[in-house]
This record gives sequence, C-alpha cells and structure tokens, in this order.
Amino acid sequence: MEINKLERYWLIAVGITLGAFTAATILAVTVFGIRLPAPVERIDPQRLEQTIFANPGVRKIADNRYEAVIVARSWAFDAGPEAGNPAVLRFPRGSQVTFYVTSKDVMHGFQIEKHTLNLELVPGQIARATANFNRPGTYHIICNHYCGAGHQVMYGVIIVE
Amino acid sequence: MASVTYPQTFETPATPTTLKLAKREQAMIGAHIIAALVALMFGIFMGPFQTFHRSPTFVQYFPTIPVFTFYYQAVTAHGVMNALFFTTFFIIGFCYFVVERSLQRPIKSTPMGWAAFASMALGLVFMLFVLLTMPQQSAVLYTFYPPMIAPALFYIGLVLLALGSWLASANIFLTYRDWKREHPNERVPLAVFAILVNFIVWCVATIGVALEIVFMLLPASLGILRVTDPQLARTLFWFFGHPLVYFWLLPAYVSWYTMLPRQAGGKLFSEPLARVAFIMFVVFSVPVGVHHQFSDPGISASSKGIQTLLTLIVSIPSFMTAFNVGAALENAARNRGAKTLFDWPFKQKWNDPVVAAQLSGMLLFIAGGFSGLINASAQLNATIHNTSWVPAHFHQTLGGGVTLTYIGILYWLLPAIRGRALFSKKAALAQVFTWLIGMTLFGLAMGEAGLQGVPRRALTSQAPYLTPAGAFWMDVTAVSGVILLISSILLYVNIIGTLFFSRQPMPAADVPIETVSGDRTSPLWFERWGIWLGILGILLLISYGPVIAEVLDFQEGWNILRFMPTSNAPMP
Repeated sequence: MEINKLERYWLIAVGITLGAFTAATILAVTVFGIRLPAPVERIDPQRLEQTIFANPGVRKIADNRYEAVIVARSWAFDAGPEAGNPAVLRFPRGSQVTFYVTSKDVMHGFQIEKHTLNLELVPGQIARATANFNRPGTYHIICNHYCGAGHQVMYGVIIVE
Repeated sequence: MASVTYPQTFETPATPTTLKLAKREQAMIGAHIIAALVALMFGIFMGPFQTFHRSPTFVQYFPTIPVFTFYYQAVTAHGVMNALFFTTFFIIGFCYFVVERSLQRPIKSTPMGWAAFASMALGLVFMLFVLLTMPQQSAVLYTFYPPMIAPALFYIGLVLLALGSWLASANIFLTYRDWKREHPNERVPLAVFAILVNFIVWCVATIGVALEIVFMLLPASLGILRVTDPQLARTLFWFFGHPLVYFWLLPAYVSWYTMLPRQAGGKLFSEPLARVAFIMFVVFSVPVGVHHQFSDPGISASSKGIQTLLTLIVSIPSFMTAFNVGAALENAARNRGAKTLFDWPFKQKWNDPVVAAQLSGMLLFIAGGFSGLINASAQLNATIHNTSWVPAHFHQTLGGGVTLTYIGILYWLLPAIRGRALFSKKAALAQVFTWLIGMTLFGLAMGEAGLQGVPRRALTSQAPYLTPAGAFWMDVTAVSGVILLISSILLYVNIIGTLFFSRQPMPAADVPIETVSGDRTSPLWFERWGIWLGILGILLLISYGPVIAEVLDFQEGWNILRFMPTSNAPMP
C-alpha cells in the first residue's frame, strides 16, 4: 500500500499535535504536580458514623493548613453544625485546604468555582483533593452532578478573608 | 427467504436514476426510519424548552413555560430519546439500506429483522410510557447512575432496545458472511466495511451496559438486590458510553466517505486510508471510557493517564477523515471551477440541502472535536468536568456533526422510501442553516458558561449560586433555543409533508450507493476481523483490567461478591 506525499505530511502534523497534548499531560503530572483524584478508602455510606465523616467540619492541622470533612446529601453539603446550611466555610488568605468528601445517598458533584477542584462524589468512596486559596473572595461549592429534584439548590460557600 | 430478486447489475453511479425500492425493503427500512423520527420528535422538542427553563430572564418574563413542568423529566426524555432511541433506530435502518444496496442482496433473514424491530419498538413504547407517566421517578437521565433507581420499565425498555440491536447486528454480520463466501477474493465495499466496524464496536461496548443493567440496576429496581456499587456501575456504563458516540459517528462517516464525495461532485481521495481509519476505530474506540471518570475517586491516576493517551490516539482516525473527506470536497470544488487556495469551501453545493446539511455538520464537528481533545486531557478536564462545557461539546458533535448528517441522509432517504419528492427544498435549506446558527450559538454560550463554572444538568434559573456572567450566557442559550425550535418545526413540517402531502414523483436522483468492490490497493487482510478483535481484546485487558481491579478493590481478597455488601448505598 502506497502512502501519498500529502497523506504523509498530514499524518506528521497530526502526530505533532497529539504529541504536544501528550507532552502537556506528562508535564502537568511530573513537573507541575497536578494530581487527579485517586482511591483513598472505601466506606459504607450507611455507616458513616463509624468513619471520619461522623463529625464533619473544618480542622486546623498546621499554620495555614486545614482539613475539611464534608458529607454531601440530597440537597446540602454538611460541614457540621457550625457551618450551617448552606454550609459557609471561612479560611484566611493563603490557606491550603485538603477536602475529604463523600456522599451518603446518591451521586453528587463537588466543584469549587474558579478552582480546578472538581470531584465526583460516589457513595462508598472517599474523595480527597487539596486546594490553595490565595485570593480573597467568595467562592461557591457547586453540586455539578444531578442528584434529584432539588439539585439546583445544593451548594456551599467558601469565604477567603 | 429472498422474495425480492435483485438485478445482477445495478445502475452505475455515474448515471443518475430514480431509485425504486422493493416492497420488502421499503417496509423494513421505512419502519426503522419512522420509529427513529417518532423518538426524535419526543426528544428534539424538549431541547429548546430546557434552554428557556434555564434562562433567568426568560423565566422572569414567562413564569409558566409550556410542554412540561418538571425540568429533569425533560432532560431525561431529551437524552434517552435523542441519544439512545433515535440514533439506534436510524442507524439500523440506514445500515440495512446501505448493506442491501451495496452488496446487492437482501439482509440474511427478514423474520429476524422484524423480530429485532419489534423488540426495539416495544422498548420505545415502554420507555415513553414510563417517562411520560412517572416524571419524577423516571428522571434518572440517560446516564442512569445508581443508587438513583428508576422504575423497572425504564431498564426493560433499554434491554429490549439492546436485544433488538444485537439481532440486527447478527443479521448484518450473517449477510456479510454469505457475501464473502461468494466473493472470497474481493474487498467488501467501503461503506459495508465501515458498517461492520460500527456493529463490532457496538456489540463489544454494549456488553458493559448490559452487565450493569441486568445484574445491578434491574434487580435493584425490582427489589431483589438491596445494594449496588455505584463506582462499578459508572465504570460499566462508560465502558459503553464512549464507544456509543462512535456508534453514532460511524454511519455519518459512511455518508461522508462513500456518499458525500459523489453528492458534492468529486471523488474520495484515498480508499485505503479510509479503511485504515475505520480499523483504528475497531481497536481504539472502546478502551477509552474512563476519560469520563477523571474526577472519580475510585480509579487511580495511572489508569486515568493510560486512558488519556488512548483517547488522544482515537482522534487520529478523525484527523485522517478530515484530510480525506476534505480532499474529496476540494476535488469537487475544483471540478466546479474553484481556482485559488481557499475558494473551494465556498464553491460547494450550499444550495443542495443534502450537501449543505453534511457540510454544516462538519463545521460544527470540527469545533466539537477540539473541545473533545480538551475534555480528554486529564488535567484540563478538572476545569470543565460536569460543567455546561460538556453539553456544549456533545451538542457540537452529536447535535451538530452527527444529527445534521443524519438529516442530510434523511433528505434523500425519506423521498426514496416514500417514492415522492422532498416536500420543500427551501424549508430544508432554512432548516439546515437555522440549525447551524442555533447550534453554533448554543455551543458558544454553553461553553462560555462552563468556563464560568455553570454546572451541567441543573435548573440554573433557580440556582442560588448563578453569577451574572453565568446568567447572561444562559440567556444566550435561550436565544439559541428559539432558533433551534424554529429549525425543529421546519424539520417536522418537511417530514410530514414528504410522507403525506408530497405529490411530485421522486426526481431522477443519484442515490449514492457504492456497489463496486474496494480499491485494489487496499490489502485483503484488512478484512481478517479476528486480528482486530484480538488486538482490541489485548488493549481492553491493558486499559480496563487495572481499572476493574481498582474499582472492585481486590486488595482485600479476590472474592468478587465482596463488593456488594460493603460498598453499598441505600436506595433513595
């Protein structure tokens, strides 16, 4: 089978384009350290009281470092009684927050506005991700995964002071 | 069986002739196309009203929006009817037509063909019944992720659709086997080659969703199972869900490769290159479903990385298609007098709805292809995952490239089935261009909104977190909804007009069916399907083996039933 000259040029151009995308992907992982969600631990969504999700809320673990444990349910993000409903979380500027989130009923989403933090909340799985909050402002936590009739009112607020 | 006798030689493609369909052919293919159009009708008109429902300004001025009241019911109906039922019926009808005409023989078994149709039609009736009578319970969207569970009829409708499609696939494979026995040293026509690829992909991919429905969702819906593993279910769904888009796309490629060049007045640049592209689809289109699950917690980053690379590879055959079909279109324009480097796109038959629909579809598909490369890049995905960027992407590909090509096919196939001319060529042209404009605007607005963080599948007009920018782009999508509503009405006026009111006989038209065997330069071993299935099997082991192991969490023992009681989720 003969390959036409134009065909060959085109295939080379395609190879370069895809090579660039691949290189960007590899760079993002190796150099910039961008991480995708990965397995943490499996839990029983009907027995959350036996897990870290028994007491949702924000905990300071070091200077500028926080852990936020959040339970998503139809239709609220539960970050403990202090945070209220819709949950309001406050962090000082420059904080690094590690979120531990799970769902106790159906699938939900966990997306922080103007950040690349975007998690699927699958019942039975702990989703973990870290975000840096360097700019002051108000950011919504949006449930971006359809979870029933009240899906559009499910949200939380992060205030960076 | 063969009550129809096919002439030994069909008219050569160069001489335009009126196509006369045999009665049996007319009934079988017509039934599939009509069923597809019924499903599309329920799906297509939901779309514009969803955009109205999502727009804060629209809702403010028109607080009651007609047609439906429960927004998520419409989202479900729109997805299930358009993406699952319309496409499957249309593809099977169209592929029967191409296979019969191309191989110059009827499909293997007519009774089996009707049994397949009956199964799928019953599935359609069940699905419509459950969607229309149980709006809240059946609103699980066309991805139906557990632990949200729909009434059993929803899943039974899907099972019947899949069963019918498998019977139809078997019919096509058997027809090919008979032809091959009689023509051992010939290359199967390119169109049939592509259709075989399409049904191979479909049969492999549907295994995933069949396992999910039969062993997890249907028993849960009937109350037999009390638990499901949502992570496993999602993985099985996307094993099917991404190849599904190639099942939609490949029939459109059949039209672009084997029909459009002649409709546009040119010829295909390279047939062997086309066959290479289709073979790549067999091998690479299935092991990529995890790129829909980049944000899932239960799958490791390394598995996601492998699938990113495989997804980038599966764009290569589409790049090849752009080149090959693009060259065919350039050739057509040069025949029509195009002289300079860039005048050939403008010298196309833009006044012929059959051609204009497919060219418009291609324009949208190019935009959709590039947004798809962004989706497929694991890290970029985090910025747009589950935002309205995603529907923007698949409305450009499925709602643009695929649907407009199907509509272009419909504009010659429907007259051929009916034996009457198209009701209105002007309405058809107006339909095509309003669709192109509406879908471009929709894609732009939803894409921009997605970058602003607006989630997909949410009744945004009621969402407390909607920002002014998000609200603005949602209002723009409502404008695109008006344009697309007009386009949809024009489409159905023309369909009903052609079926019932057209009095003109079908004009002498070149129905673009390729009957000659393929180019002698393409190797015969391209048709050794066992090789491709073997490679696909190995790739599936590499790409899905680790994913399934992670999802089932095998570290704590290899008891495959362990996942059921420990990772359960309550039924809401």
